[in-house]
Amino acid sequence: MLVSLKWLKDYVNIELTTEDLAHRLTMSGLEVEEIKTVHPQFSGVVVAKILSVKPHPSAERLSLCTVSDGVQNYPVVCGAKNISQGDIVPLAKVGAIIPGGYTIKSSLLRGEKSDGMICSEAELEIGDDKSGIMHLPADLPLGLPLEKALNIEDTVLDINITPNRSDCLSMIGIAREVAAITGKKIKFPTVKIKESNEDINSLASVKIIDSDFCPRYTARMIKSIKVGSSPVWMRARLEAAGMRAINNIVDVTNFVMLEMGQPLHAFDFRFLEKEKIIVRKSKENEEFISLDGKSRTLPADTLLICDGVKPVAIGGIMGGLNSEVKEDTQVVLLESAYFSPSSIRRSARKLAMPTDAAFRFERGIDPEGVVKALNRAAQLISEISGGTIYKNYIDEYPKKIPLTKDIPLRLDRIRQIIGTEIKAKDVTGILRSIGMVLKQKGKGTYLVTPPSCRVDISREIDLIEEVIRLYGYDHVPVTLPIVDVKEMELTPRLDMEERIRQLLTGSGYTEIVNYSFGTPQAADILSLPENDERRKTVMIKNPLGEDLSAMRTTMICGLLETAKKNANNGSFNLKLFEIGRVFINSSKDELPEEKNMVAGLLTGEITDEFWCSGKTVDFYLLKGSLENILFDLKINNCRYIASSIEPFLHPGKSCGIYLNDKKIGFLGEIHPDVLEKIDFKNNLYIFEINLDILEEVYEKKKISYREISKFPAVMRDAAFVIPDAMEADQMINIVLDQKEDLLEKVIIFDVYKGKGIVEGKSLGLRFFYRAPDRTLTDLETNAVHDRIVQNTVNLTGAKIRT
Amino acid sequence: MINELKQLEINALAELKTAKTEEHFSNIRTKYLGRKGLLTGLLRNISQVPDVEKPLLGKLSNELKNLLNAKIEEALRQQAIRNKEDVLLKEKIDVTLPGNAIKCGRIHPVIQIRREICSIFVSFGFSVVEGPEIELDYYNFEALNIPQDHPARDMQDTFYISDNVVLRTHTSPVQIRIMEKVRPPLRILSPGKVYRRDSDVSHTPMFHQIEGLLVDKGISFGDLKGILTAFLKKIFGENTTLRFRPSFFPFTEPSAEVDIRCVICGGNGCRVCKQSGWLEILGSGMVDPSVFQNVNYDSEEYTGFAFGLGLERIAMLKYGISDIRLFFENDIRFLKQF
Repeated sequence: MLVSLKWLKDYVNIELTTEDLAHRLTMSGLEVEEIKTVHPQFSGVVVAKILSVKPHPSAERLSLCTVSDGVQNYPVVCGAKNISQGDIVPLAKVGAIIPGGYTIKSSLLRGEKSDGMICSEAELEIGDDKSGIMHLPADLPLGLPLEKALNIEDTVLDINITPNRSDCLSMIGIAREVAAITGKKIKFPTVKIKESNEDINSLASVKIIDSDFCPRYTARMIKSIKVGSSPVWMRARLEAAGMRAINNIVDVTNFVMLEMGQPLHAFDFRFLEKEKIIVRKSKENEEFISLDGKSRTLPADTLLICDGVKPVAIGGIMGGLNSEVKEDTQVVLLESAYFSPSSIRRSARKLAMPTDAAFRFERGIDPEGVVKALNRAAQLISEISGGTIYKNYIDEYPKKIPLTKDIPLRLDRIRQIIGTEIKAKDVTGILRSIGMVLKQKGKGTYLVTPPSCRVDISREIDLIEEVIRLYGYDHVPVTLPIVDVKEMELTPRLDMEERIRQLLTGSGYTEIVNYSFGTPQAADILSLPENDERRKTVMIKNPLGEDLSAMRTTMICGLLETAKKNANNGSFNLKLFEIGRVFINSSKDELPEEKNMVAGLLTGEITDEFWCSGKTVDFYLLKGSLENILFDLKINNCRYIASSIEPFLHPGKSCGIYLNDKKIGFLGEIHPDVLEKIDFKNNLYIFEINLDILEEVYEKKKISYREISKFPAVMRDAAFVIPDAMEADQMINIVLDQKEDLLEKVIIFDVYKGKGIVEGKSLGLRFFYRAPDRTLTDLETNAVHDRIVQNTVNLTGAKIRT
Repeated sequence: MINELKQLEINALAELKTAKTEEHFSNIRTKYLGRKGLLTGLLRNISQVPDVEKPLLGKLSNELKNLLNAKIEEALRQQAIRNKEDVLLKEKIDVTLPGNAIKCGRIHPVIQIRREICSIFVSFGFSVVEGPEIELDYYNFEALNIPQDHPARDMQDTFYISDNVVLRTHTSPVQIRIMEKVRPPLRILSPGKVYRRDSDVSHTPMFHQIEGLLVDKGISFGDLKGILTAFLKKIFGENTTLRFRPSFFPFTEPSAEVDIRCVICGGNGCRVCKQSGWLEILGSGMVDPSVFQNVNYDSEEYTGFAFGLGLERIAMLKYGISDIRLFFENDIRFLKQF
């Protein structure tokens, strides 16, 4: 909220410097976000008097004036018609600067000397009136700089009002706070109504059909008004508050809203058919054209202000075009009402009309301020537009708006919450300074009634907040809680994530964080089949864009996109990983399933500076990284199954990863078709693993030490020629399944195809034999080794390569 | 004859000095000490020497022999060392070429901040907990005292999945889920991704938050100040100045915004702190009794405080980053800097 200090000073004396005031407000909960100084857009313009006006000898539309600034007389050629001898006007002297950066120079106009310029409001950007020269009050001293004469300079505080403080959405509300924190008294504007003899009740009536939405509706009528522009002072205030001046009737309603926090509306009475106001809820799809000229289809249950025939305003949000105040309006019906906050909020949201009025109604206005504001506005309209106020006002008040009374407040509880003792005297002083009424009720307990404007206060804790806020957070001593000392541990999954993070960064991978939402085309890019779980996408109803509308069901698309973006930036050698969640729509539950995943990507050269290797990344580098992770997590029984094919992976260079028959993920080279779709040149290798499944195993894994043998191992090699289709894993398993106690381990030392091998491939296995209690003899070793080799040959049909 | 012996010594030593190769040395050995060598030749004429001089001559010639042998041995040893060194020097490599181990990757800067903050609170006895990122309206709003049609909903622009399901706008719903299951006392920290419908230089539709909650008997606003002061001094340094000022969050009362003296300008006013000299770092407050009521905690018996902060904001201040979107563009040139 923009608060003009000049305006604020109408209601409370301020002796603090602006900076001090801003600091005190901020530290009591009204955060001053910015201090702005308002300067006039001109300089060198003074108050002057027209001494004479003569016609220009050679230009019909110009006149020659002699103008005095009290010291000197100046000849000025002027084109405006609304000037005559004796007028007090603004004079831009030679050297003056007027808005737009123009400097006034001495000149000849059609042969006549002109030493200055008499200005209109518009020319000085004080107002919109460009119809003629601005006339100033006759009692201003000549020669006084205009900015002083009009008191234009101002300081504006931009205050962030939190949603609970609806009472501060007005100048008087801010003044109340200032008065409380500075110990000053607040000066309310005096409202005097001069009524005519004609009673409003004989001319108009109000009927509330929906009292839940509108518990109270008050109205006054003013006749014989003259619509025009508002006086400079009012326009200056509206503009300081960030509002545009419109005309003297609308401006008054806005001014009083800013002053007192009560939104108001003025109807041109001519257009209220049957001289009636009826307040009701809309039916579904009623059409209505609002003040801003927009045609709107109203959802059901929008509060409508109607006349005897048709809607004339959307209650609490915006008036209608059909009944707005026009230049020739003579009689207005002024509305001041209380609308239910939640109904206004619902409608304003549905209609996307966050107007100033709606903003205040939905936060809750002062129920006791409705009539005050009505009278204040009637008075100002009558003063400014010369209107006459009809006798009495209409006050339809079918439903009592509840006010909070007698909230119990215990001094003990204050100490419990704050942690320090505040004296009873200070507590009561603070509460009284913001208009609370206190009654003592036994020792250390009070009954507190907040002022009607503080609709946010209904509980003891609300009162305690007021006490501590005005006591000053800075004055609360710092303490430390007395709690059991215990250091906590991460959950197994977070611990696991941390280890993976360490390991992958150590292996050269850099962590990325992608948005959890992306394009709904992701599943198509990955060519996922119709029945794939990853097509059960959770969609955002109100996304920032279509390409950010689908919650990811896999992390792969994000990685591919990141690789693509980096390649576009010239980074082709990438090792990336991401830890995060994917979301699978659930038909059973309200909430989707969230799975924790880790995914990685490799592309390009193994290192950026590949002078020494010149090797590009491949399937086995990626697999090695994965094996490292699983090794670190002590998960040793994963299987890599080539027949488990993902549609977006190269069918010959990819596999599923299984743990105890559960698929935990996949790895492989990206399918050329997908590369083509995303327009990526180099090969990409990716993996994705479900961490939730790993977690189940990880938790239970305990290390138990196995004794290291003191005796040497014996090595034997054997090369088996096997069919191409046969996997290394199968061979190893056949060997291990023989469960020879002396076989410590078997590794693959060679895979060979080519010269000497007619068909299939040669797989070189190295066997390590060891006994825990003795050195093996050749005889022993050979016996076991030959047995294993022979069995393997028998089981696989492999040939031994010699 | 003694003189001849002396002369022989001088010549031999001179020759040894100029010798370079192994061959030279063995030639010298042969020339002087060989069977047909000069010393041997000289001694062959020993019969012509008077008897009295014989022992002396014998001794001297023996000494010369030993001397030359030792010299040659030593020279050969040196030569062998030199030869080996020559071989090694020929294998000299360019040590300024870059190493060829795979270069380390980096942890995402926001995650680094998350680890740092988590480890501080873990050392204060908080346990780290998590909750769903797609959340029921009830947990994200209602249970946190933000009813439907309440203006406080404006504080967080929300992504909706359905009328009843949202992308969580803060990590606070985790509070509720934990409190529903666990009785006090409670010290929890919930880090995670949160989502708000917003996108510009200082907002991304997804960002990271950490929310903390401490509930016990006798927890006061003074304790809130104490814990958060200790935390912020750990993160931003012992000399950090901070202030607590009143604010509003629907689920805490009283609520406090915590500011630190601007780390960029030191409080003199700059663009980052909007000339105020202060930076908003976290929101906090005493848990509102109505939140306790929603989870069946007795607010007369237990009090507590909660706080929440945005990790990107902390990272931006720590690293001087002015555009939050950089965190999610994942440009490797950006990520490698942390």
